Amino acid sequence: MEHLQIKGTKLSPLVDFNADTGKMELSGRSIPENSYEFYNPLLEWISAYAQNPHETTELKVYLEYFNTSSSKYILEVLKRLKEILKNNGTVKVLWCYDEDDEEMMETGEDYEDVTGLDFDYQEIEE
Amino acid sequence: MGRKRPKENIYHKEKAHLEHTQEFLSSAQEASPEELMKELKATCKNFEELLDQTVLITRISDRLQRKLDKTNDKLQQLNDQLNDKNIELQNTIDDLIKAKAGRKATSIVFIFALILFVFSEALIDPYIDSNTKNIYLSLAIKGLIAMLIKPFEMLVEEGLLKSARKKTLKERKALINKEDHLEIEEK
Repeated sequence: MEHLQIKGTKLSPLVDFNADTGKMELSGRSIPENSYEFYNPLLEWISAYAQNPHETTELKVYLEYFNTSSSKYILEVLKRLKEILKNNGTVKVLWCYDEDDEEMMETGEDYEDVTGLDFDYQEIEE
Repeated sequence: MGRKRPKENIYHKEKAHLEHTQEFLSSAQEASPEELMKELKATCKNFEELLDQTVLITRISDRLQRKLDKTNDKLQQLNDQLNDKNIELQNTIDDLIKAKAGRKATSIVFIFALILFVFSEALIDPYIDSNTKNIYLSLAIKGLIAMLIKPFEMLVEEGLLKSARKKTLKERKALINKEDHLEIEEK
């Protein structure tokens, strides 16, 4: 399956989804002009990946800032990853946040609560 | 007229589900119990997803609002501190201008006193000596000159202060005009 890589910009995050290793990364800022246009390819990729996933899927999320419409799609990304659990795969989420950004950490906790996925938290020193 | 930004439809999937359910309901009387159960389960699942989204978005939104309020309060505090510092700075500048004017005035008066002293010794004293031989008159004139030095110094200081303040005001107006000009250029 194709390695999905999208370069980060001022408005959209870096995307690095590798089906061979099961390692995925979403980092930067997410305030795209059209969230559907940006996130839909990611969701389609994840749905396809979930049909034949790696033994362990690890998603690293390190977002400085994201808007409300992005938050909806990030939830969608996590829910689609959760489908992998039905195929006896393991899914781990590494939620990273800057050391003075308590709000981002709490947002991770909200995602964990709503999705029921297994989250680890990492504080990144500036 | 401004161009309207196209609205992003991030809920088109949810709208599609709703339309589908509405369409189903319009012919629900003809549906079998199995079809009804299937549709109910699908609607329930869609509702659960929407609820999850709502819960999440509400929590994130409230948190960001609190952060915004805290940041606004901090900005207001910093603004007040900045205003106080500005006033302090202005007072210090005024004191410095006054001190500078005072020093200048003292120098001018000193030179003036020196000139008066030489004038008095070279011209006034010999005149008094040759015409009246009254030492008290000579002393009185010198005393009068000495007493006039202080008011003269105050006048000179006042004049120098006015001139310095006018100069500062002119410089500030020029700076404000320059800033306004730059703002207009940026727009």
